[in-house]
Amino acid sequence: MHMEEAAVSVKGLVKRYGSVTAVDGISFEVKKGEVFGLLGSNGAGKTTTFECMEGLRTTDGGVIKVAGCDPVRQQSLLHSRLGVQLQSSSLPDSMLVSEIIRLVCTYHHTAVPDELVRKFGAEPLLRKQYRQLSTGQKRRVHLVLALCSNPQVLILDEPTAGLDVQNRAGLHDEIRKASQEGMTILLATHDMAEAETLCGRIAILVKGKIAVCGTPSEITAAGSRQTKIRLRTSAGSLFSAMPEIADAQYTETKDGYIEWSCRNASSAVIEILTCVKNNGDTVEDLRVERPSLEERFLELVEDPV
Amino acid sequence: MKSFFIYLGIQLKADIRDRGILMTYYLVPLVFFVVIGSIFSSINPLMKPVLAASMSIFAVTMGAVMGTPLPLVRARESGTLRAFRINGIPDGAVLAVHTVSACIHLFIVSIVIYVFSPVLLHSDRPSHPGLYLLVLLLILLASVGIGILIGSTARSQSTASMISMLVFLPTVMLGGIMFPASILPPLFEKAALVLPATYAMQAFSSLAYGLNSSLHPAFCIFVLGGFCIAAFILALWRFAAVIRKQ
Repeated sequence: MHMEEAAVSVKGLVKRYGSVTAVDGISFEVKKGEVFGLLGSNGAGKTTTFECMEGLRTTDGGVIKVAGCDPVRQQSLLHSRLGVQLQSSSLPDSMLVSEIIRLVCTYHHTAVPDELVRKFGAEPLLRKQYRQLSTGQKRRVHLVLALCSNPQVLILDEPTAGLDVQNRAGLHDEIRKASQEGMTILLATHDMAEAETLCGRIAILVKGKIAVCGTPSEITAAGSRQTKIRLRTSAGSLFSAMPEIADAQYTETKDGYIEWSCRNASSAVIEILTCVKNNGDTVEDLRVERPSLEERFLELVEDPV
Repeated sequence: MKSFFIYLGIQLKADIRDRGILMTYYLVPLVFFVVIGSIFSSINPLMKPVLAASMSIFAVTMGAVMGTPLPLVRARESGTLRAFRINGIPDGAVLAVHTVSACIHLFIVSIVIYVFSPVLLHSDRPSHPGLYLLVLLLILLASVGIGILIGSTARSQSTASMISMLVFLPTVMLGGIMFPASILPPLFEKAALVLPATYAMQAFSSLAYGLNSSLHPAFCIFVLGGFCIAAFILALWRFAAVIRKQ
C-alpha cells in the first residue's frame, strides 16, 4: 500500500503511562473507504491507539497521520475531517439533543443534518434532555454528532455496546453504506461477529503490539485450530467400524455425532461420505465448522507467542 | 464569536433546566435573602441599611463558590470535555461559556436583591448606584474566578464541594455579611482580610452608601481587582494543566 492511498497511517506508535507501555511500536495503514477493525482484550491498547489518533493523547514515539493531519499539531483541521464516537463520554445532562446537535454543527460550520438525524432515528429524541436518554439512545446521538461534519475518517470505539439488536443491525447498515460512499472507518469492538461481517481488515492487539493483521479469513486461516467435521448417519454404521480418514483425525463421539478435525475439509468430507455410502448407510446431518475469528482471537490472546 | 454566543445561549437555557444550578444560583440565595434578611434587619439594625449589599455578596459568593465548580469538575470526570473537544468545541470555549453564564445568573440574582431589598426589607438604596454596580461587578468576578479556580483544581466532585465549603463558610461568617467585621475578635478580623467579601463589604459601605469603613475604599477596589486577576490567571493555569494531564 502506498502512503498516498492511506487515509490513516500509524507508524511505530508508542504510548506509555508511567512505567507501563500501553502501545508498543504498532504500525498499520488504512485505505480510503476501508473498514478496519482493531480487536483486543481489555487493556490491549485499542482505546489508547484511537485516542492518540484523535489527538486526545500525546504520543511517546511514532508518526500518525489521519486524513492528512497530524493529530496533535493540526487539531482544528483534524476535527473537521475526523468523526469520533468515544468509548465512554458524556454531554451536559440538561442540554436538549437538538441543542447539542446545533452546537456541534455551529462549531463545524455546517447545517444541522436533518437527514442524518432521521437516518439514525434520533428525531423523537430531539426535545429530550441528554439525561433522559437510554444508553442506546445516547450512543445514537454520539454517532450523529460524529457524522455531523461529514468526516473523511470515522473512529468508532465499541459503537454497538448497549445497543439492542435492531439498532445494532441499523448501525451495521450505516457503516457499510458510509464505507461504500468512501468514508474510512476504524472500529474497535469486542464483538467478533461484528468485526468479521463489517471489517475488510482486522488487527488484533495483544499487550500493546499487533499480534496479527489481515482479512478476517486470513486471520482465522493462520491459526492452529482445525476445521471440525461432525456427522450423524441413520444406521450409525461408522460407530461400529470407525474408518481411517487420511485427511482428518477422529476427535470424539457425542450425542450421536462422530467428530473429526482436519486441515483440508473438502477431501476429508468426500472420504467420509464415501465410507458412509460403502457401508450402505445414509447421512442424517453433516456439519463442517471452520475455526471462528473468536477462536483465533482467544488463541492469540491466551498464547500470543 | 458567533459560535460562542450560540453556545452561551444554549448553556443559559440548559442552566435553567438544571435544578442544582437553579437552587445554588437563585432559589437558596433568594430564600436566604427574604428569610435571613428579615431576621437580621430586625435583630441587627446596623446591617439594615446595607442589606442589599450584604445579601448580594452572600448570593454571589454562594452561587460562584458552591455552584460554579461542580459542573466544571463533572464535565471533566464524565468525559463531556473530551466529547466536546473531539466534536470541535475547544476547552477554552467551555471554560469561557461556563464563566460568562455564571456571571449572568449571579448578576440577575444580585439585581433582584438590589431592587427588592428596599421594598421588602426596608433597606436603604445606595447613594451612588454606579459605584454600587462597580463593587458588585468586582466581587462577582472575583467570586466566579475563585469558583472556576476550585473547579479547575479539585480532582473530584466531593473534593470540590469540600473546598467550596472551606471558602464559603468563612466568607459568610467573617466577611461582614452577617455582622460587621468590627465586632469580630481581632484574630478573626485579621483572618477576614484574606476574603474578597471583606473588601467588597467595606467598599459597598463607603463608596455606595457613604458610610464609614475601616479600610480605604480605593484600597478595597484595588484588592478586589487583584483578587479578580489573580483568581482568573490561576484558574486558567490550573485548567490548562488539568487538560494537559487528561
